[in-house]
Amino acid sequence: MIKENCKLAIISIKANKMRAFLTMLGIIIGVAAVIAIMTVGNSMTAGVQKQMESYGVKNISVSIEQIDYSQELSEADEENMKLSPETIHSLVKRFDKQIDAISIDSSIGSGTILVNNNKVQVEATGVSAGFFKANNIKLVSGNFFNEIDYSQGNNVAIVSEKFAKQVAGENYKPEDVLGKDYEVNINDEYLNIKVAGIYEYNQAGGNSRSKSTPMYMPIASAWNFSHDKDIYYITVVASESTDPVQFSNDLKTFLTEKLTTQLSDKFMVSVYSNQSMIEENTKMMNQMTMAISLIAAIALIVGGIGVMNIMTVSITERTREIGTRKALGAPDGMIMLQFISEAIILCLIGGIIGIIIGLILGDVASHIMGYAPHVSMASIYMSVGFSMAIGTFFGYSPAKHAANMNPIDALRYE
Amino acid sequence: MSNDILLSARDIRKSYYIGTPNELEILHGIDLDVRRGEFVSIVGQSGSGKSTLMNILGILDRQTSGTYTLDGVDISQAPNKDLSSLRNKHIGFVFQTYNLIARTDAIANVEMPMLYAGVSPKERRQRAIELLEMVGMKERMHHTPDELSGGQKQRVAIARAMANDPDIILADEPTGALDSGTGRLVMDIFHELHEKQGKTIVLITHSNELAAETPRIITISDGNIISERNNDGKGVA
Repeated sequence: MIKENCKLAIISIKANKMRAFLTMLGIIIGVAAVIAIMTVGNSMTAGVQKQMESYGVKNISVSIEQIDYSQELSEADEENMKLSPETIHSLVKRFDKQIDAISIDSSIGSGTILVNNNKVQVEATGVSAGFFKANNIKLVSGNFFNEIDYSQGNNVAIVSEKFAKQVAGENYKPEDVLGKDYEVNINDEYLNIKVAGIYEYNQAGGNSRSKSTPMYMPIASAWNFSHDKDIYYITVVASESTDPVQFSNDLKTFLTEKLTTQLSDKFMVSVYSNQSMIEENTKMMNQMTMAISLIAAIALIVGGIGVMNIMTVSITERTREIGTRKALGAPDGMIMLQFISEAIILCLIGGIIGIIIGLILGDVASHIMGYAPHVSMASIYMSVGFSMAIGTFFGYSPAKHAANMNPIDALRYE
Repeated sequence: MSNDILLSARDIRKSYYIGTPNELEILHGIDLDVRRGEFVSIVGQSGSGKSTLMNILGILDRQTSGTYTLDGVDISQAPNKDLSSLRNKHIGFVFQTYNLIARTDAIANVEMPMLYAGVSPKERRQRAIELLEMVGMKERMHHTPDELSGGQKQRVAIARAMANDPDIILADEPTGALDSGTGRLVMDIFHELHEKQGKTIVLITHSNELAAETPRIITISDGNIISERNNDGKGVA
């Protein structure tokens, strides 16, 4: 029966191709808009999420923040914003199992290195051993710093691939750079370093147009150079089996309790896990996408009214046909099914065309905005379901009208 | 011809409200029996009530009072929702204006009543071809109504009326829209159905000439049967 009705519906749609197309247009535009917007939204969410994940989903940043930023701070107060080595030790002791690494970094400053009359720029940063893990930095050649480098503050450095290319040419050999000494001018103070390793330089992650690239040294070396051992924030890398969101709550509770006197009533412990930021961000993006999609869905409702309009016209035109069918024994339900099928098929064809157009639009828009297109399957299911629902909903009342026609009047209709 | 009564109408009255308190009675108590295998014509001028009677006999409409029994089923007792299936099973309609479904080919038109009766697609097709062959329209079974002449359309309509092998064929002015030549052809088909297949046929017409072809003639005027006679000229009781 369903098959027969679909066949009837297709015959009727074919008989009025232009009218059917115009009717579908509303559905096509509505579905295309929803799909395109959801695809762009999804692509953006996925793109941003990927970028954030590259910073490490297990990372938790810990610092002490002022509660009220409008308050002036005394020198003694400034002192209270620092994380002392004791605090960090107690943290490691307390959460030994949950902590994979602790990353501390301290900026030394922007430096220039003169090589063959070329100025090569670097951002010198002192780091702890955990830094490389927290920031997912991988070596292409050479080695990370050893225990002695860290404890004695040796003037060794890990430089970027880009740096290696800048000093030794595009087709450099590792030995051209590894173990070589360079003199770095930082605010007219000179720092002599020896290259221990070269790390993979991620163009996408950093600012590719910047000439300057980060250069890492053991944190003790940085302290030696700048005579400043202050730590204002650390990054805790949670171990594989630890839920970073839950762990950051534990960290906050622990530190708030431990540092009660230091915090007084002016400061608070600020603990942010990347994971919760990613989740918050994804949630926000999804909400935004949904909100815009809902606006686009209005087009679908307008399209649905178009379908209802055309079904009403079609049924009036076919009054005699309906009368004949009823006279020949079509039950009311069959008449109803016939016209509802017609509305649903109309909407479904419109929906499918809309999906194709929406996918193309979404793909192009995502590319233009610089994100890898990420098709939302949910949006496709939703659109198909929605357009069928529109067909049923807006087809119902005209179909009901047809089913309730009196066969004698319908047969006599001119 | 067997003697069992297929259709029995007793004191059928039909009235319409044309705004209270006026009530317009169209049929004033019709008594009518049709035996299985009869070919009866109901003749009357327009406005005589013959179309109203046909609608009631065709279960398209209900009488205001009186009883109507078809093949032992008391139609007046049947619930509304069963009327379409009663029509589907018992009655084959042939209309003056053919009423074929537009944009649908002849064979699909003939299959339609069987579709509503729940006959399988294969059986439907086979039966439709046989019926179209019977009315001489097999070659044109894939033509749509607008590709057929009036006479051809009416032949397809007769094939469609026969689809579910109904107890009775109700033909309402079947030649009314046709020229005399094609009208003749259509009447010949009815005679053939009656004589060879023993079909019960009720022909509704305003033409005495056409009615004269049938073995039994019932004349209706102003909502009453004014004469009922067999075609040998003698009145029946």
